[in-house]
Amino acid sequence: MKLAYYPGCVSRSTGKEMDLSTRAVCEALGITLEELEDWNCCGATHVSNELVAVGLAARNLAQTDLPVMTPCSICYSNLRTAAQKLEDRKLRATVNQVLAQEYSGAKIRHALDVIQEALSQNPDLVVVPLQGIKVAPYYGCLLTRPRGVDSPEFPTVLEKLLKDLQAEPVDFRLKTFCCGGPIFMPRQKAAEDTTFKILMDAKKAGAEAIVTVCPLCHIMLDAKQKALEIKRGEKIGLPVLYVTQLAGIALGLGPDELGLNMNAVSPIPMVERIYEKMAEQS
Amino acid sequence: MPIGVYVCHCGLNIAGVLDMDELKRYAETLPDVAVARDLPFSCSDIGQEQIQKDVAEFKLDRVVVAACSPRLHEPTFRRAIAKAGLNPYMLEMANIREQCSWVHMDRPAQATQKARDLIRMAVAKAALLRPLERETVPVSQEVLVIGGGVAGIAAALDLADAGMHVYLVERRPTIGGYMALLTDVFPTNDCSICVLAPKMSEVFNHPNITLISYAEILNVEGSVGNFMVQGQKRARYIDEKLCKGCIDQCASVCPVEVPSEYDFGIGKRKAIYVPYPQAVPLVACVDPKACIGCGRCVEACQADAVKLEQEPEEFKFNVGAIIVATGWQPFDATRKEEYGYGRYRDVITSLQLERLLNAAGPTKGEVVRPSSGQIARSIAFLQCVGSRDATVGNIYCSRICCMASLKNAQLVKEKYPDTDITIYYIDLRAGGEGYEEFYVRAQKLGINFVRARVSRIEQEDGDLYLIFEDTNTGEVKRVKHDLAVLSIGLEPDRSADVIGNILGLSRRPDRFFEIAHPKMRPVEAHIDGVFIAGCASGPKEIQTSIAQGSAAAAKAFKLLQKGELELEPTSAFVDRDKCIQCKLCVDICPKKAIAVESPAYVDEAACKGCGSCAASCPVNAIDMRLFSDAQIMAQVRAATEKKDEFPLIVAFLCNWCSYGAADLAGTSRIQYPTNARNIRVMCAGRVDPDFVLEALRRGADGVLIAGCRIGECHYVSGNDQALQRVNVLKEVLGKIGLDPGRVKIIWCAASEGEIFARQLKRFVDELKEMGPIGTELRAGEAQEAT
Ligand SMILES: Cc1cc2nc3c(=O)[nH]c(=O)nc-3n(C[C@H](O)[C@H](O)[C@H](O)COP(=O)(O)OP(=O)(O)OC[C@H]3O[C@@H](n4cnc5c(N)ncnc54)[C@H](O)[C@@H]3O)c2cc1C
Ligand code: SF4
Repeated sequence: MKLAYYPGCVSRSTGKEMDLSTRAVCEALGITLEELEDWNCCGATHVSNELVAVGLAARNLAQTDLPVMTPCSICYSNLRTAAQKLEDRKLRATVNQVLAQEYSGAKIRHALDVIQEALSQNPDLVVVPLQGIKVAPYYGCLLTRPRGVDSPEFPTVLEKLLKDLQAEPVDFRLKTFCCGGPIFMPRQKAAEDTTFKILMDAKKAGAEAIVTVCPLCHIMLDAKQKALEIKRGEKIGLPVLYVTQLAGIALGLGPDELGLNMNAVSPIPMVERIYEKMAEQS
Repeated sequence: MPIGVYVCHCGLNIAGVLDMDELKRYAETLPDVAVARDLPFSCSDIGQEQIQKDVAEFKLDRVVVAACSPRLHEPTFRRAIAKAGLNPYMLEMANIREQCSWVHMDRPAQATQKARDLIRMAVAKAALLRPLERETVPVSQEVLVIGGGVAGIAAALDLADAGMHVYLVERRPTIGGYMALLTDVFPTNDCSICVLAPKMSEVFNHPNITLISYAEILNVEGSVGNFMVQGQKRARYIDEKLCKGCIDQCASVCPVEVPSEYDFGIGKRKAIYVPYPQAVPLVACVDPKACIGCGRCVEACQADAVKLEQEPEEFKFNVGAIIVATGWQPFDATRKEEYGYGRYRDVITSLQLERLLNAAGPTKGEVVRPSSGQIARSIAFLQCVGSRDATVGNIYCSRICCMASLKNAQLVKEKYPDTDITIYYIDLRAGGEGYEEFYVRAQKLGINFVRARVSRIEQEDGDLYLIFEDTNTGEVKRVKHDLAVLSIGLEPDRSADVIGNILGLSRRPDRFFEIAHPKMRPVEAHIDGVFIAGCASGPKEIQTSIAQGSAAAAKAFKLLQKGELELEPTSAFVDRDKCIQCKLCVDICPKKAIAVESPAYVDEAACKGCGSCAASCPVNAIDMRLFSDAQIMAQVRAATEKKDEFPLIVAFLCNWCSYGAADLAGTSRIQYPTNARNIRVMCAGRVDPDFVLEALRRGADGVLIAGCRIGECHYVSGNDQALQRVNVLKEVLGKIGLDPGRVKIIWCAASEGEIFARQLKRFVDELKEMGPIGTELRAGEAQEAT
């Protein structure tokens, strides 16, 4: 299978491990990724100006005829929102006036959905089953909005994937709760409260790790975890992995290929446990 | 053909602006006019007597009255000339009050000019009037009621008591609808089945009612007065005559148990069952999906009533009218995933609570948590689940659920005073007699009210937590309850879709059946002879459902009681020699009144006279009895005979909305330019492109077509068709070098006099900009020459 790849800006900054693991996992699954040649912001930086936001998205989407895949839920949501708005002929005409390549419709996919589909067709590719590992499936808000892959209120696609990887999804009450990221700047305290709540809920549900599909969620849950531990005086210690990283582990990819050393809370001890368990069993 | 013309002063209403003398003298000069008079009040007895005298003296055979709107006094003058021995349809009116003197008060000279034109147009049309007879057709005096809920029951009983024979067709094995499953009902909290059951058995025993239960309507043909109905009665696998309804013997040996739909899934029934003890007919029914065919019931039944080999039966009958009372269905609560219905056992629907509260229900009236079987101690009611909610496509209010929750909260509180109850609402809607008092009573009982739309329900350690913003305090809260009741909304019954399609009923955007007029015709469908009652046309409580059932019965009775129907002679008719059988008219007819059986044929009982077929026929083979092609053409020609104003506009106004709007502009004295010469048609869809082209060819500078607002056409889609024709016309104009803007189509409701006036004024301005007709042709030629 061949897909156009839209990495999104985070891939060049705080989410290099997301990008790395996405490429590695797709390769392992036999999916060819063709990176868009001249991609730009998905529109997220201009959400307050509809025309600019849609125009930016359209400029990306116009560059290929292939379905466009992105590992970032923010990009995914923005590109899809734009594609929906561009169904309006008038808006499409306005946008096309300024585009070098004409936008004429696009299919957008999230890496999660691509991987889940590939794995469910090819379960044998799981060479390092994540047996017995309890994972909290965290969706955040943007993956399912506008409504697409799964239900916005009670999605289950991550659970399905976790089961395909032979991990054990925990019953995670706050799985679609906002991570707090969007309000971090104006209302830091409220954002931190939210993030803390999600982390504690995952822990209480018995999770050893959290899996995410969005770089902003990832920052909130992973990068800010240490600071939260100190502020709240509570040990959390939950590694937070991109779905591509977790899938990569099960596909037998190494920590370097998946950028596991870039996570703030190291998932390496968990990986070691997985390998130990596998060794024990064989 | 001697014509009499009467120009009415209407006191000073007309005479205060127009020059009466001049109009009278002008009328005398028109062709065929034998007498012209100005009368102070032509509608008065004196006025009418004068006309009648003239009919005799001058041997008049047609009459023109130039006065107020025909929407006001056309019937008066028709009666007047009929008394004088003329055919009532030999009358034409010129509207010189609402559409002239009242709207051009400061421009008497131009207004008089316009009135002259209007009178000339009326006389031209009058010359082509033909006597018309109201035909009568015999009708069936039987009525079909579809749906045996409380609305259908009310309709059937009223008709039957009045002496008409009724077929009541019910889809389920029992009549009663949802009301039969409710516990006590608001606003008086009397036991629902106790008040309904006697009515149900009355239906069963009534000599004038044929009850056909467990049946479906498959086809309906014909039209008002004579509908041919065809349907199928499903197999119950029980001989209805033999079954005693005892059910114990057969059901007790049946090995299959399934969730009972009559308990909304919380109770159980066997594969052989009666829905509930008061079911009518009280006859068992075998559920073919559940039955394993073991035959134990066959052996157990002492009456030998179980017939597992039974086949469905077809039925056929004729009726004169149909009452649709197909009711509603509950919103599927699993669609609001955030509330966890179907995932959390202690989240239930309001209907399930009705069954829990019901002494004959699965828990014998105990309100328990399904997860534990324990009595619920803290109950939350969530309002507007599936209503007032664009995310599920239902923006309407279901109207009864606030009251239903108030009721159920009271019932629980009375039974368990210690139980804590909170109703989470957006707005509490308790409009109705005694309803506000009912609300106050709930407050006094200590029921809590929180203004919040609950955002989600979470389950933690077996308890439910509601998360919401209390919009009175602005706080976001998370509150524990042990039972959550979703007040689900009412949606139109899905199986009614089939009925809707068979009968050709239209639907509102909320998907309920649309009534003929949202205020004035609350139980009539757009299709003649079809009535709608109860929740089939939108959510409503029992009282209103019954009222509508009775209203529909009265309407059906009025329609059929004479045994014959008088038809307005507005209908279309086909020139059989011209028809080329293209079937365009068949597709266009909103009333499905035309069939093509070499050649086309119009069912005059069904035709409402909109005239869209006549406008569409490519060979002019269809014409209208009233508002004929020739008459309208004569008006167009008369309007353009003298061009005394620039721009001159020929305007076609539909009878129902835009003509009404123009009249309203008059009664509201809204002033606008005098340029339009109005021609009344039944529907914007009547306007044949030929009329428009003829007007322009003869020098009109513009043509205005005004119809009802889109979606509000009295013939469903006439205005859409008009719009399509205008779009094509505009292209044609463009091709021949005329400005397409010379044809304008506008929409206004009968209440929008202001809009009519404004649109007309704008059109006048646009035409001034374009210049007199033909300016653009000359400009084009000049350009080519250089
Ligand atoms: C939780 C709840 C509580 C309520 N409590 C109250 C209350 O306390 N007081 C009150 O006034 N109202 C109450 N109501 C409203 C009440 O239920 C309705 O007013 C009433 O049911 C309307 O009756 P109906 O005959 O219009 O429709 P229905 O009761 O729906 O009856 C329609 C009938 O038509 C049949 N049918 C449908 N389609 C076909 C078809 N194609 N062919 C043949 N038959 C067909 C159905 O099987 C059904 O028997 C409550 C509603 C709810 C949801
Ligand atoms: S009646 Fe009350 S609960 Fe029902 S939809 Fe209307 S406002 Fe909501």
